[in-house]
Amino acid sequence: MSEAYHNLSDLDRVIHEPSRLLLVALLSSVESADFLFLLKESRLTKGNLTVHLSRLEEASYIQVEKTIRGKFPHTEYQLTQLGRLAFDQYRKNLGRIFDEKKGKGEGEKP
Amino acid sequence: MGNPIDSAIRIGRRYWFVDGFTEMLAGGLFVMLGGVLLLRGMAPQGSFLAQFASIASDIGLIKVFGLLAAGLILWWLKDRFTYPRTGFVREKRVTVVQILTFLRNAILCLLLPVLALVAAFFFLPSMRAFLFSMPVWSPVAMSTIWAVLCILSGHWLGLRRFVLLGVLILLAGTGISAWQLAAGLPPIPVEALQSSPLAALPEALRAPLAEILNRAFVSIGWLTLVSGAIFAISGMVTFLRYRMENPVPYKEEA
Repeated sequence: MSEAYHNLSDLDRVIHEPSRLLLVALLSSVESADFLFLLKESRLTKGNLTVHLSRLEEASYIQVEKTIRGKFPHTEYQLTQLGRLAFDQYRKNLGRIFDEKKGKGEGEKP
Repeated sequence: MGNPIDSAIRIGRRYWFVDGFTEMLAGGLFVMLGGVLLLRGMAPQGSFLAQFASIASDIGLIKVFGLLAAGLILWWLKDRFTYPRTGFVREKRVTVVQILTFLRNAILCLLLPVLALVAAFFFLPSMRAFLFSMPVWSPVAMSTIWAVLCILSGHWLGLRRFVLLGVLILLAGTGISAWQLAAGLPPIPVEALQSSPLAALPEALRAPLAEILNRAFVSIGWLTLVSGAIFAISGMVTFLRYRMENPVPYKEEA
């Protein structure tokens, strides 16, 4: 098995799922965001979004803060330090896989 | 612009500009600053020092109170209009060290060129002809810097309209420079361009220098005003599009 395949299996499976990858990417550039923002930008259903956020919370990649704004409950999601590190590592691993594949692809050309 | 992950990252960064309010308010501030520069450039002044002092105080007041007012208005508008429609985002916290570093760099970037121009004026007579043409080159130089900043911000935020804004500001600066060039510059006494004694300078140059400075203020004033108007219009268009896409606050389905 080549190094590229080893790198593939190194990818973080929690983040690798497309919807969760999008959620982590959205949260990576902000301090925190609420449910509505994530719902609008991810275009997931409320049920799906809740499931994916719970999965990220279970992995300790995000933390949830529930407050009251006016008369309504307000939930904010924030990427934890562990989540940021995992996302950075995921991007590095992904980049390495593509770089390696690109290098090999170029090398195979006649 | 980049791969899908980078695009998703930019969504959070540019959320501040999603509704157009920030551009409208920033544009309004720029229009006010431009208006002050225009008025001070056109109004007769007693002395250079008085002119600089009045401009500095007006601009300082507008910046302090304007930024404070704009911040409050922005917070109020977003809380009532944007957050109920597309959600709330808390931007990354800026530390005191980061603010101080930014302020230091901004002040250095502003002060160093001004000090260099003043020093060149007094100690390099050969540079004076170039400095006397300040009303012509200052708008195009300043608009180039603003355009570069706009385009870089647009790339970082993933906002293509900022590239267009940069190009429009550059065109405005070029237009103002061309207008000043067509209007011609006041004749400069030959001795003012050749000699360098500091004592003889004010007498020989007082009248042309006053005209040059006033016209430079007018040029920069027009550029600031037009740039502000461009930002405000862009903000209004963005706001109208945002309102069309999100006509009512988000409601829970029954």
